[in-house]
Amino acid sequence: MPALAQLTPAKAGAVVTTPHVRAELVAHAPDGVAPGAPVWVGLQIAHQPEWHTYWKNAGDSGLPTELSWTLPPGVAAGDIAWPVPKKIPVGNLANYGYENTVLLPVPLEVASTFKPPLALTGAGGPAELQVRLKASWLVCRKECIPEEGEFSLALPVQGSTALHKAEFDAAQAAQPAQLAAPGAIEVQGNNLQVRLEGLPAAAQGKTLAFFPETPEVIRTAAVSGKDWTQSWQGGTWTATLPLADQRSASPTAMPVVVALAEADRQPGQPIAWRAEPPVSGSWPAAAAAPAAQVSPALQAALAANAADAVKSAAASNEIAPQPMGTLLAALLGAFLGGLLLNLMPCVFPILAIKVLGFARQAGNRSAHRQAGLAYTAGVILSFLALGGAMLALRAAGAGLGWGFQLQSPAVVAVLAALFTLIGLNLVGVFEFMRTVPSSVCSAQAKHPIANDFLSGVLAVVIASPCTAPFMGASLGFAIGLPAGQALLLFAALGFGLALPYLVAGFVPAIAWLLPKPGPWMSTLRKLLAFPMFATVAWLVWVLGQQTGIDGAGTLLALLVCLSAIVWALTLRGRSRLVIATVLIGFTVVLTSAIGRNVLTTIEPAKLAGAAGSKEARWQPWSAERVAELAGDGRPVFIDFTAAWCVTCQYNKKTTLSDTELLAAFDDKKVAMLRADWTRRDPAITAALTALGRSGVPVYVLQAPGKPPVVLTEILGKDEVRAALAAL
Amino acid sequence: MEFDQPMSLPPSTELRPDSRSVRAARRARAALSRASRRAVMAAAVALGATFLVSNNAVAAPAVGQQAPDFVAVDTSGAKHKLSDFAGKFVVLEWTNPGCPFVRKHYGSGNMPATQKAATDKGVVWLAINSTERAASDYLKPAALADWMKSQSAAPTAVLMDEDGMIGQAYGARTTPHIFIIDPKGTLVYAGGIDSIASARVDDIKTAVNYVNQALGEAFGNKPITAASTRPYGCSIKYKT
Repeated sequence: MPALAQLTPAKAGAVVTTPHVRAELVAHAPDGVAPGAPVWVGLQIAHQPEWHTYWKNAGDSGLPTELSWTLPPGVAAGDIAWPVPKKIPVGNLANYGYENTVLLPVPLEVASTFKPPLALTGAGGPAELQVRLKASWLVCRKECIPEEGEFSLALPVQGSTALHKAEFDAAQAAQPAQLAAPGAIEVQGNNLQVRLEGLPAAAQGKTLAFFPETPEVIRTAAVSGKDWTQSWQGGTWTATLPLADQRSASPTAMPVVVALAEADRQPGQPIAWRAEPPVSGSWPAAAAAPAAQVSPALQAALAANAADAVKSAAASNEIAPQPMGTLLAALLGAFLGGLLLNLMPCVFPILAIKVLGFARQAGNRSAHRQAGLAYTAGVILSFLALGGAMLALRAAGAGLGWGFQLQSPAVVAVLAALFTLIGLNLVGVFEFMRTVPSSVCSAQAKHPIANDFLSGVLAVVIASPCTAPFMGASLGFAIGLPAGQALLLFAALGFGLALPYLVAGFVPAIAWLLPKPGPWMSTLRKLLAFPMFATVAWLVWVLGQQTGIDGAGTLLALLVCLSAIVWALTLRGRSRLVIATVLIGFTVVLTSAIGRNVLTTIEPAKLAGAAGSKEARWQPWSAERVAELAGDGRPVFIDFTAAWCVTCQYNKKTTLSDTELLAAFDDKKVAMLRADWTRRDPAITAALTALGRSGVPVYVLQAPGKPPVVLTEILGKDEVRAALAAL
Repeated sequence: MEFDQPMSLPPSTELRPDSRSVRAARRARAALSRASRRAVMAAAVALGATFLVSNNAVAAPAVGQQAPDFVAVDTSGAKHKLSDFAGKFVVLEWTNPGCPFVRKHYGSGNMPATQKAATDKGVVWLAINSTERAASDYLKPAALADWMKSQSAAPTAVLMDEDGMIGQAYGARTTPHIFIIDPKGTLVYAGGIDSIASARVDDIKTAVNYVNQALGEAFGNKPITAASTRPYGCSIKYKT
């Protein structure tokens, strides 16, 4: 129940005391009550420790104190002259209010029509101005109590009322001074840019607190320096403040108050300033939808599918960790995926090099073990580093998925050059012995372990985009897992990749099975150059997908020049000087002329333009197109693919080219959309994340009105036929 | 016989067996470089992990955005997910019987009447209490259920959110604070229960009940006029 005034039946007094405040109606009329004389009344609230009441803009919650005056005719009350408030943070919300003691002064306008009533005590008594106040305030500490009070005060008209001069002066000093210039506020995106001009020298350079008088515009709990910034240019103060997530006010002018920090306030000097800047710019409309523009029906179903992935950010009374069984299954899947990665053409050349290394160290058991451990360490730590980086970026909100390394043409070109060099070395065009100073060579010799570690790292760099079937679900799982479990998953992947080499290192029997060094090594070494060149061919093809035939051709030309330079550097004497210089000069000219082609990516539409009628059935994917087709009632088959993804190419050439299957698609009038992720399109990344995946390929069959069916990564004809039949 | 020199071994040491001490020294050096590389990697992973410590980098949804899914247990122990109610209108009402503003609307019968009018139309009404366990007005689920019954309240379920996760996800600030979600999962209303911010019961009859208005417009296939209003009440006592 709200606390009421003291139960004096006759009239209310000037003081109301509740368990939380002592509120008193006070007045200040040094020159008596007459037209033109300054007459102030006010409510003084003395709060109990830790309790507070609110400012005219209470902030995220709370209510401002309300004063309602009953005055005789001829006397009018103005608005409350609110003293500068204090920002009161409450968790990650904030309020603006007052603690300890505050006086809320109100000016009274006495008109000439005011006739002081004759005193009731009979003739000769002093004339008085009867002031009645009904006040309601919300006083809070952690809990809130709305309180009310009725006050009454009689002001002598003739005499001087100045008992509370000190409090009124203090309240006056705590008023914000009006700034001459209105300043300006501009809405920029989701921020408010405030500019106030004409601030005095005493304030310049100081950190100011910001108090908007309009509620529901900015994020009240924003902390200066962290969530919003302020800066000074001479007497102009600018600040960029974030808008509230659920802003419900769009004012055309926003009165604002800025105040000095407590430490900077000088007695007798103004401590705050007020202005009413007009607001320009357009308020953001009901905010932009999230990046994945999927149709509402799909979104509802996807939300159900992704509920597990979202669970870590969702509410739960129980802690809800991932059930042990599913985590172990995911780890097993990751491990098997890692094992399978050894067979992928993108990893096999590295493994070939490792075998060569073994041949070199045949007979040295501890060296085998160390080599195996070093390689495993390199692989696992690289996976963990990649996983850690991916998780860090996920936390930062970037829509990043697995396989980003090969989406940048520059990275592809550099890798192609690197593999060309390794191939040339294996074939014998050059030796590191002769092209590198001997100190570096012997340094290499002393650290064969380091070589193993680094080749482990290289294996990971190349293998990552080849998401094999077992890895797909595990990776999508990892996106939604807490950090520790996700990193464990990546470690399991690395372990699977490194296991064959590790086992060979530890089980001496296998090492003994390896042939001893001999002339066959040279043959093997030259033979292994060709998987290197095959990898280069594949990388050139990937680059071609990204930058077109011009980019691929330029890369090939540059690789030829690179090979020539490397050979030239193996020569001796003057011929070396001359030929190498000429070749290097030629390469530089060539690079400056056409080198740009390697880096300019081409729109996928252009790439697809060359295709024949068979390709016309595949339309480019976009979220709007999906929504359109769903609206038309057509089922949709989406192929999330990328140029560097071998599984995708395999499926494209086999299952998705099968004429019978395509006829079945046409029968059911399925629209076929292709989402090309070769160039890291953020809309596609977001759509993949919504499906619980972070790599390609992903095949989705979406029937209107039903949740989407995600098919397996190695697409089988029967599986697709069954899914189509279920439409 | 002659073979080409392999990649990294210098010619002199290719066939000569290493002495024990040389081998030991080599192993020690390799171990040190391996250890230092591991330390660098571990540091890199740890640095990456620190980015994960910051909780809640996601902003609360604004009207027109997708309402985040959540899972919570109600006062009778049953689990509910927001996605369970896909296809229906859902009203989320943040409540706390310890708050005078909540008592204003329940004691006067305003909130129970609004709840009943909504649930009669097929709307799902979820009352959520995000008060932390350490707060002085925390109510155990049974006590909260009893209080709701004593007020003749008619929500579909009363959810416990002691960790404050659902409240923080929606940016709920006060009790009461109302959110309305349409059948497709989009947030269509966020704000107060009515238009007069006060603790006085008398103000209810002169105020506009935003929930009744919004649901009436939504069911009449009209756009919601007051979709984002000022919520008023006590601060939600989140877990700090």
